[in-house]
Amino acid sequence: MVLAAGNQDALLELYDRYAGLSYAVAMRVLGDPGRAEDAVQEAFLKIWTNAASFDSKKGSLRTWLITAVRNRSIDFLRGRGAHEREELELQPDLAESHRSDPWREVSLSLERAAVREAVGSLPAEQRQAVQLAYFGGYSQAEIADMTKVPLSTVKGRMRLALEKLSSYLQGRGLMDV
Amino acid sequence: MSDHEAMEGSVAAWVLGALDAGEAEDMRVHVEGCASCSQAAVRLRRAAVALPLEVEEISPPARLRERVLVAAAAARSSTLPSAPARKKTVAATPRWKPVATIEVGRFYAAAAAATVLLALLVGLVAGALVGRNSVTPAPPQVARFTLVGHGSLSGARGTIIDLKNDGVTLVDFKGLPALAKGKVYEVWLITPGGRPEAAAVFVPDSNGAKVVLVSMPLSGFAQMAVTAEDGPDGATAPTQPPQLYGALA
Ligand SMILES: [Zn+2]
Repeated sequence: MVLAAGNQDALLELYDRYAGLSYAVAMRVLGDPGRAEDAVQEAFLKIWTNAASFDSKKGSLRTWLITAVRNRSIDFLRGRGAHEREELELQPDLAESHRSDPWREVSLSLERAAVREAVGSLPAEQRQAVQLAYFGGYSQAEIADMTKVPLSTVKGRMRLALEKLSSYLQGRGLMDV
Repeated sequence: MSDHEAMEGSVAAWVLGALDAGEAEDMRVHVEGCASCSQAAVRLRRAAVALPLEVEEISPPARLRERVLVAAAAARSSTLPSAPARKKTVAATPRWKPVATIEVGRFYAAAAAATVLLALLVGLVAGALVGRNSVTPAPPQVARFTLVGHGSLSGARGTIIDLKNDGVTLVDFKGLPALAKGKVYEVWLITPGGRPEAAAVFVPDSNGAKVVLVSMPLSGFAQMAVTAEDGPDGATAPTQPPQLYGALA
């Protein structure tokens, strides 16, 4: 499937594969079906209009799409325009420095079970810190305020959470870093 | 404290999008020149982008698929005016996909589909303009035709927008009378020889309006017509003379 060709079958294939996950992520952030639909639509449209630079063989398409859904959802949530803030963006190094998507080799359900288990195994305050950032769109300073801990503590929790998640997934062969 | 020591602690927050814009820009500059932070960023980002996989999938409403498709078709037609014409691969049997209707009258005026569709409907289609004005005319990408109502449908109108490069057509209906219970409007494509092919069924909204997506190319057909037929699937051939129709040329 080469989306770069701009063919609609590729777009629909992508949609059929990832709409459920995209919509779930948007719903998790927004909790509102109408706005979640809009966020998902805009993310797919963004992929479509930038299709020339995408080729799913590089494997980054899903990550890119879900990241776009997340970013758009956070924009809606906080009433921001797309360019008013720092986006959680997929850097080119991630898309291109790996020959294959580590996720692509394994079925989605396996990956998700592993991620759920890994996130579930984090201490509650670490899990909360990364989830407030990813699904809530809060900055580390805002999270420090909300959870009434020093900023340095929030930084430490985020770092520990992602390091643990990373080694857990690597240990399961789900990450080829 | 060196730059590295100050920045290192915020790499995780950076890949989670949890830095303010200014901080993030500083981080970006630092990471470019710091192998250690750059490695950490790649590793931690791969963990960060796995976070959404924890969410349980939810099937979106079926209409979202059509919204995405139409928005994509419209965006492509308006943003890629000089793209080469799509290679025709239509074989003896025309590409025959289930047709579907879309809702565009949503409250979210900013929604991309509505926006691009509106731009399309008012004629701001770059492809058509470029095709008309440039020295070497590009092949037309968008063609527009009109359906005119007669008899009991005399107040109805349809604007056909043929997105040639995408092999789909949008028809913007207005002024359609409400249907009897169990009935649907059925769109027919009619060959030069007068043979009708079912192209779409739909039910207009309470204002008698609807944007209908026809997922087949118009080439090889001479006319489009609309009749009221039994729902939900419509008929295989018209059961009455059409009162809303127009030529595809
Ligand atoms: Zn550094």
